[in-house]
Amino acid sequence: MRDASAFAHSDSSSLRSAETLSEPPLVIYGKRGNADVLTAVDEDAETLGLHAGMALTQARAMHPAIEALEEDSQADAALLDNIADWCLRYTPLVATDPPDGLLLDIGGCAHLYGGESELVADLGQRIAQAGFTYRIAIAGTIGAAYAAAHGGRPAAYDTGTERAILLPLPLMALRLPPETVASLARVGLKRVRDIADLPRSPLTARFGGDLLRQLDRALGLEHEPLNPRLPVAPYVAEQRFHEPIGREDDVLGTVEKLAGRLAIALERRGDGARRLELTLFRTDGALRRIATGCARPLRNAQDIRALFAERLAALADEYDPGFGFDMVRLAVAVAEPAPAEQIGIGAAEDARELVRLVDRLSARLGAGRVRRTVAHDSHIPEQAAAMMPAQNTGRDLHDRALGWDAFRRHRATTELAPRPLRLLNQPEPIEALAEVPDGPPLRFRWRRAQHDVIAADGPERIEGDWWSEPASFARQQPHNLTRDYFRVEDESGHRFWLFRAGLYRDVTPHDMAQGRAPGWFVHGTFA
Amino acid sequence: MLDELRQRLTTLQKATGLDSDPGLVPFGIAEVDAALGGGLAPGALHEIAAAGEPHLAAATGFTLGLAALPASSSRGANGVSEPGATRKHLVWIAEDMALAESGAPYGPGLDAFTLDPERLLTVTVGHRRDLLWTMEEALRCHAIGAAIGEIRHGPLDAVAVRRLSLAAAQSGALALLLRASPARDASTAATRWIVGAAPSLPVPDFEFGAPRFAAQLIRNRRGPTGSWIFEWRENDERFILATHTVPVAAPARDRSRQKIA
Repeated sequence: MRDASAFAHSDSSSLRSAETLSEPPLVIYGKRGNADVLTAVDEDAETLGLHAGMALTQARAMHPAIEALEEDSQADAALLDNIADWCLRYTPLVATDPPDGLLLDIGGCAHLYGGESELVADLGQRIAQAGFTYRIAIAGTIGAAYAAAHGGRPAAYDTGTERAILLPLPLMALRLPPETVASLARVGLKRVRDIADLPRSPLTARFGGDLLRQLDRALGLEHEPLNPRLPVAPYVAEQRFHEPIGREDDVLGTVEKLAGRLAIALERRGDGARRLELTLFRTDGALRRIATGCARPLRNAQDIRALFAERLAALADEYDPGFGFDMVRLAVAVAEPAPAEQIGIGAAEDARELVRLVDRLSARLGAGRVRRTVAHDSHIPEQAAAMMPAQNTGRDLHDRALGWDAFRRHRATTELAPRPLRLLNQPEPIEALAEVPDGPPLRFRWRRAQHDVIAADGPERIEGDWWSEPASFARQQPHNLTRDYFRVEDESGHRFWLFRAGLYRDVTPHDMAQGRAPGWFVHGTFA
Repeated sequence: MLDELRQRLTTLQKATGLDSDPGLVPFGIAEVDAALGGGLAPGALHEIAAAGEPHLAAATGFTLGLAALPASSSRGANGVSEPGATRKHLVWIAEDMALAESGAPYGPGLDAFTLDPERLLTVTVGHRRDLLWTMEEALRCHAIGAAIGEIRHGPLDAVAVRRLSLAAAQSGALALLLRASPARDASTAATRWIVGAAPSLPVPDFEFGAPRFAAQLIRNRRGPTGSWIFEWRENDERFILATHTVPVAAPARDRSRQKIA
């Protein structure tokens, strides 16, 4: 494993260095304990002898003319994340090392740039262009690369030289807590070389196990995993361009080519893509990530291209190639075993066509907008049917998986009363006048229109959930109350599904006095 | 060159459903089928407008009844259908607000109009142009037998509507536009209907009668217009003409507003 630690001053101080010298020297400060402490200084301030870690009051006393700004750690973190994303062009294994460092595992990637020093040169040039100062080191372990970037001479070191890098450096370079460093300093241990060959057990006993673990990790005696910021996709293919591409057609052509490469790998392991991610690297460092899901495992390159064509079309103006993309990466973020393609006829062919349609629509409109209705074993009307994203309702969208056969059996055995054609999202309260307390309404008013009931059918009693409080009427939530449903027709033939929430027998005179009585609701409409 | 143009002209004419297509789907009502020149044309666009906002549920039922026609007419003499087995899927596309305001299609109630819930694909869209795009995509898919586009108010882009007609003609699927209120815009639809609820005929034991629809055929590219009251027979899965044992009113209009106290 080869690790590179890039160390960039990711705050505004470096941005200012490009501006005119007539500006006052800039320092950034933040609260550390009870004091305001400088966290970063620009070049001008540095030449005045100011440095990070100095108290703000001291700096002000030395140079009253400086401009001091408070740090914005959230913005710094977001900026670091942005730079980390941008570094994905070098390797998918990028981790952030807050507040201002990045770790890249470049094992097996450097040859794409012609070698490690070329990669460093490319990275450095791009970071500098973006207006940041940086220190980049490459070494065989995370610890050694970090130490070289922060305390030593930033360069590309060969594996095996970790000891030589580390020995002359201060102990801070081992990424130890400041208290440990301070207590080591009290007994005269200041540099790595001071502790490297000391007997181990007394050191551990006195300073804790972290000290030697950090040392072992930096020296490569113990493995240290890198925690990449983004999950690493199981299948990745990428293409670099000397001349940036910008046209949608070119991008889609590249997608198809990359998908063709992925298809070979997917087929070898019998997998298909359920979720695909396309990353477009713009020449100016901006990144566009486009993801799309598939209803069934997919590996056909043309189908994948078609999905991204929809996504790009949906992006419309947001698809902004700027001066072009110089790298395109296609990754399978989620893979799933897929049976080999079969040539089907009739119903199977229709099923495949349907899957294709669902994928296209979901890619363009969003998976949550393309839905199917799933039956649930519930007697509560709004829970008996649920709208689910079609892509999630099972492989190949099998009709049987939706559970309606069970519903039909249930209806046949229980002689369930008719259900409305359209159900409102929320039952809507109405003013209703009933002749007898537990009977259907004679007339009601809904959405500012009055309806005289000429025919009614019911009640169909639907109890609230049995686990809900069987307490008094007043304490119950309206949606937990027992409902009496009626099907009613008004004088012009409109048909409604109404219910009364709550039973009059549960209502105490006290409730009535408080104005709490069973209420009426419209829940749906029949044709 | 001339041949090619002629061929293109033929396909364009086909799109509007003007030729005598043997694949017409009969209503099973002689009077209506005569007006339609044999039946409802599949592979064409049909527009159904609710007579007013409160009539939307009735118009929805009528639309689903039309969507069910091809299946019921192609079934064998025994009239038994196999649920979900051979019938194609139906796509219901609506703008976000439409389903929120008028209610979403409710699975357990759909089979009153012979739509098995598993055959329904519901799509909600944020923009009118997405609705038309989705509808066109759906019509071009061979797994889809009918696409219903539900539109609340406002005019339609005539070009987009024509594209829908063409897409339907190419695939043979049924394109149905369901509107919440009648519109006066020009349209290439093969038929345009205004549909409202009509009082049902009460059956003796105080149960509900079958739902009735007051349907006006206001535009018909193949023949005369007309006005009928249909009754949906759930068991037979088809429309019949309502028998005139009760006075037949004029097509229902929205009287609710007159009664606001």
